[in-house]
Amino acid sequence: MSVEVEVNESDLAEMVEQVWESYLDPEGVSPLIPTYDENQPSEVHSSVSITGSWSGHVVYASSMAAAQRAAAAFLAMEMDEVSEEDISDTLGELANIVGGNVKAMLPSGAQLSLPQVVLAPESSARYPNAQRISGVYGIWEGEPVSISMWHSSSDNKEEEGE
Amino acid sequence: MTPMRAMVIDDSRAMRMILKRIVTKLNFEAVEAGDGKEAMDLLADMTEVPELALIDWNMPNMNGLEFVTKVRADPRLREMTLVMVTTESEQSQIVRALAAGAHEYVIKPFTEGAMIEKLALLGLVPTGANS
Repeated sequence: MSVEVEVNESDLAEMVEQVWESYLDPEGVSPLIPTYDENQPSEVHSSVSITGSWSGHVVYASSMAAAQRAAAAFLAMEMDEVSEEDISDTLGELANIVGGNVKAMLPSGAQLSLPQVVLAPESSARYPNAQRISGVYGIWEGEPVSISMWHSSSDNKEEEGE
Repeated sequence: MTPMRAMVIDDSRAMRMILKRIVTKLNFEAVEAGDGKEAMDLLADMTEVPELALIDWNMPNMNGLEFVTKVRADPRLREMTLVMVTTESEQSQIVRALAAGAHEYVIKPFTEGAMIEKLALLGLVPTGANS
């Protein structure tokens, strides 16, 4: 059974701010600037699934340039040193960190999957019976980045089937 | 003087690199493992046990909690300081890890300064190493 839980934009924004402060912008000079545009484009994305007391997904999506910049910041490398493996590792860990913190706000009994990374736009992903319930959308160093939360439920399935 | 050694155990290579960077800065010699089983295998081959292990919780093969339990059950490894470094931030999970034998608990995301402060509290680095 999945209970109704709302983790809102403000909760997600706080988690995202902590990620930026810890890894992507420790100097505090390049914050994620909100655009509130949930349709902004992406070229890569990563996700973790949550099951148990609540079911859904947490998705991190960005342009390839933003992913490369994230990997460089995360791994303390120059941009031109970053490999595709570095980008995948970083995207996976970013989804894992945000997903883990979302899970902590859910009723006990939720489990977190290992992260999945796809070097393709978020729009190519399909989350059956799930709908986006909140998200943080912004521009980082001129490139789009978003973190969104999707809720899966039997109610969504019924709605889609109507 | 022989440098202290730290084992960094996380299935994320990116996170291992971050942790390795921090402990190396603190003059630890770092050893990496991708999961608890690999860490136990490495420890079995070591003549000198590392002073510190930084351990993720969610890993394939053997998770962090299982690793802590195994280390605590092995008299040869009892001097190791065990720090969980994880996104598992529910109070119940923290209690489980500490009850199993972890000395400290760091929740991801963490800043470099926060990690160094934790290690200073454990007496593994001089107080003020952060400044």
